[in-house]
Amino acid sequence: MASLLSVSTLEKVYGTGSAATRALKEVSFEFEEGEFASIIGQSGSGKSTLLNLLGLLDTPTSGSITYRGRETAALKSPELAMMRNELIGFVFQFHYLLPEFTVFENVTMPVAIAGNKIDREMRSRVEEMLGLLGLDGLGHKNANALSGGQKQRVAIARALINEPRLILADEPTGNLDTTNSEAVYDLFRRVNRETGTSFMIVTHDRNVAQRTDRVLEVLDGELVQDVRNSYSTQGERTTAVAK
Amino acid sequence: MMLQLRIAGRFLLSSRAQTSLIIAGIAVGIAVQIFVGSLITSLQADLVDQTIGSASQITLTAEEDGEPIIFDAETRDAIAAEGRLAPGAVAAVRLTSALYTDDGGGSAPLSITGGLLREIDTITDLSGRITEGDSSLEDDEIMVGTVFAEEYSLSPGDEIELALPGNVLETLRISGIFDLGSAIANERQAFIGSELPRELLSWRSDEYSAIQMKLTEPFDSVETAESLGNTLEGVTITEWQGQNADLLTALTSQASSSYLIQAFVLIAVALGIASTLAISAVQKTRQIGILKAMGMSDRASGRIFLWQAAILGVGGSLSGLGLGWLLIWSFGFVPVPFSIRIEPTFAAISASIGIIVALVSSIIPTRSTSRLDPIEVIQGG
Repeated sequence: MASLLSVSTLEKVYGTGSAATRALKEVSFEFEEGEFASIIGQSGSGKSTLLNLLGLLDTPTSGSITYRGRETAALKSPELAMMRNELIGFVFQFHYLLPEFTVFENVTMPVAIAGNKIDREMRSRVEEMLGLLGLDGLGHKNANALSGGQKQRVAIARALINEPRLILADEPTGNLDTTNSEAVYDLFRRVNRETGTSFMIVTHDRNVAQRTDRVLEVLDGELVQDVRNSYSTQGERTTAVAK
Repeated sequence: MMLQLRIAGRFLLSSRAQTSLIIAGIAVGIAVQIFVGSLITSLQADLVDQTIGSASQITLTAEEDGEPIIFDAETRDAIAAEGRLAPGAVAAVRLTSALYTDDGGGSAPLSITGGLLREIDTITDLSGRITEGDSSLEDDEIMVGTVFAEEYSLSPGDEIELALPGNVLETLRISGIFDLGSAIANERQAFIGSELPRELLSWRSDEYSAIQMKLTEPFDSVETAESLGNTLEGVTITEWQGQNADLLTALTSQASSSYLIQAFVLIAVALGIASTLAISAVQKTRQIGILKAMGMSDRASGRIFLWQAAILGVGGSLSGLGLGWLLIWSFGFVPVPFSIRIEPTFAAISASIGIIVALVSSIIPTRSTSRLDPIEVIQGG
């Protein structure tokens, strides 16, 4: 598989002098197209910081992030914005929907930002996706009129709509019940299988992590484990240390 | 671009009360701007009209006092070539004075203008100012003012005897009584035909006391006088602005104070819009952050506030035009001796200024939005 993302000696330091905190310490790894991975770690371990850096929302103190051979440190703000729009889809802990817009408009916002038309094909895609996420018939509703769980699922639909190459999800099912969490997980898996979109899911839940193909564990800002899960044809799972 | 406009519209709709208030604020500002501007302009136009509306604005006389000016072909050509003059508004007049004595022994000096009625009309609109009788200046006819007629109980058809220079006594019949809008003029001014004063002064038929002219734009008088002075030699040219320095100073001061009021109104409007947009920018920080996280560029997200400003500016200015018109319309019911007219160009300029001020006011929120880092929102939860 081709390399999607290459992270090299990534450092993030907050503050300066004696008050400086190293949130990330020399994190390096390769990530390929179509991978389905999770990042686990304790609260405050730096996993969200890592996700924000990978999502080009934050800039590293040192080290590099390279997407498909393009070193992101060299890119200017508009190019980074375009890369975020085309390459990356975000699902945050909080839904971050735009309360002034309907569910449909929220889902199609990344398409509109990219300057693409929302045609009939796109409409049916949105309808299908909302259906898969258990949001049938809610497209015309105002985003604020939904429950917390529904909002989170709308945010997931929004992250997927542009068919980005990488979905960065920060505790995407944290606010969902078991059934909906399963549905979201299944949808992620299906999108990954059908479109080859890569997933990097930050989670507390080791059970969720075990169901991904690769688990990256962050502890005190360091990448302490990078493990690949292998599946047998019978669905039996074995774990192997990748490095 | 349309996306930013749509987002701007939604942001404004999401806080309807705030939006309505600021649109009302801009509307009031622009309405005051239009009202004050139109009031001052109309007031000035009225003052100028009262001062010079029925008088010559540029006058040619001979260099020597009491000498006649010759209204020859050269002078006619020079006047005809002057494009700033109101078409046809030229009157060659002969001026003299007279003393009227009534049966009771009371007497009044009169300032007499002799000329052709159709020419005098182009300067004074005498025919339009007749209150009694007819407008006519045949050889033995005279037209007098209302105050004079009232004082001596005179009516059209009455004959009056005037003592003219050179101890000439002349009996003239009153054809009409006029109201020139000024008590002094209505008391002292009288008009007669052209021939009588010519005979009195023993002048040739092309010799006159003065050639009076009116301009299409009264305030062009200085330039026009200069230009006529360059072509005509041996004549004295007086123009109304030179004769009315005090009035002009008053008009200028009035205009300056009006500009000052208008400027402060605009500043208040600008501050209002700027503070509303600044508040809106703070209120919508989360939305802007998430739009940026989804890939909206800094410039594009900044434009959301530019569009908000444009919507507020256009909405406020259009409402202001309506409100301004309403104010001026209702002013029509106030008993003042002049009416306010809306100058369409001035109203359009005021509205455009409103929109420009709104756009300029969006600079700060637009910049702060452009600078907003999406991570601040994401981390802030």
